[in-house]
Amino acid sequence: MRRKIFIIGVACLMVVLASMTVNAQDQQRKVTPVKPKTNKVLTPPKGTDEKIIQQYLTGDTAQARAQERKDSLAKIYPHYPKLTEFSLGLGFGDALMMAFGQKYASFDLSATLNMWNRFQSVLVVGLGRAKNMPDDMNFTYVGKLSPFFKIGANYNFLYKNEPQYQLYAGVRLGYSTFKYDVDDVSVSNPYWGELETYYLRGLSSNALWGEFLAGLKVGLFSNFSLGWEVKFHGIFKEKKSDSGKPWFIPGYGTRNGNWAFGISLYYTIPLSRDRWPVKEDKKRGNKKTTNNPPVVPPVK
Amino acid sequence: MRLGRKYGALVAAVILAATMLSCNNDNCKGNSNGIPLAAFFDDDKQVSITNLTVYGIGAPNDSAIIRKTAASQVYLPLRITVPTCSYVFDYNDDGMLNDTITLNYDVIPYFESVECGSMYNFIITSWEYTQNAIDSVAIPNPLITNSDVVTIKIYMQ
Repeated sequence: MRRKIFIIGVACLMVVLASMTVNAQDQQRKVTPVKPKTNKVLTPPKGTDEKIIQQYLTGDTAQARAQERKDSLAKIYPHYPKLTEFSLGLGFGDALMMAFGQKYASFDLSATLNMWNRFQSVLVVGLGRAKNMPDDMNFTYVGKLSPFFKIGANYNFLYKNEPQYQLYAGVRLGYSTFKYDVDDVSVSNPYWGELETYYLRGLSSNALWGEFLAGLKVGLFSNFSLGWEVKFHGIFKEKKSDSGKPWFIPGYGTRNGNWAFGISLYYTIPLSRDRWPVKEDKKRGNKKTTNNPPVVPPVK
Repeated sequence: MRLGRKYGALVAAVILAATMLSCNNDNCKGNSNGIPLAAFFDDDKQVSITNLTVYGIGAPNDSAIIRKTAASQVYLPLRITVPTCSYVFDYNDDGMLNDTITLNYDVIPYFESVECGSMYNFIITSWEYTQNAIDSVAIPNPLITNSDVVTIKIYMQ
């Protein structure tokens, strides 16, 4: 009887040992499931975000690498939201030029909607006037204060940078309807010994013109920035008159040349600010803060 | 430093604009008044008339536009106080009588440009002429401006 019990005990022990051996073999297979060639440790590159490093450490390398690629693309191609910012501008270039003796001025207010920090739609309204009494000439030109309008678009070449620094090219379509006088005209005819004086008053005209421009915008302080524009413009259509063509067109300038210059002060209102790409140094700053949390005194 | 750079750019921009402003003062490329230019033709070929005197009837001091000069073309200044003007073409040739051309026109005050100033343009409404040495007078474009182009064609016999 004792012998039977001993044999059964030995048999049970063997069964237990056999089952343990099988479990151990199973566990060993799970430890090395991949081929030796691909079984290498992936280390994250320097400067990798803490979150991605954690993903690496937890073994989710595929997710970590996908995130890393996304972040690296974001660095190269920062994606601003559709409605990036809205700017109001005050054009005062002509006011400045009057200090240099310019005899005409156009003042304008512009509204610019910056989309994706790349495309900008622009609306400009303004007023222009002129008064010119050239030396050694026989007239006084008076351009009455008259309105003008422009619509157009810009393309910002620095779309990867912060919106407060912009280098752009643009087009405008402008229109103005205006009145002007040519006063105190004296015409002499030496051969016939005649001298006549006349006034051309209440003359009116309108003009449609186009502009190509290149501009630079630089942030000054707070939400204010300064912009410079060089324009090449030409008149598409204007109202003809038997009394001549106007010298000054509000918003366009004089018809003497095709080049013009403008300076504007802008106030910008950021839109969807939370969706703007975060600057790298700011990111690092945040990371530093995360790694070194402020010491909180223990609560008693 | 950053602010200084911005102001530097502003100063540079103002200088550039002032330069552009100063470059825009083109001189007047036409005459300072509307004036017809008459040219002499034999068939369709422009010819020169020798020993020619041209003067306006009623001009002060009997002054002549040209006197005993060889000319293929001559400016005929129009009066601005009356809408008609007559010119005598004296060939200074005993065997040839003088010719007279009379122009009737409308006087139009016209602002040309800042460089050329304000002036008078004219629209020729009708014209008469004698035919001693002149065969015919043609005015293809009746608008007389300050442009330096032939506006009156005098065809000689």
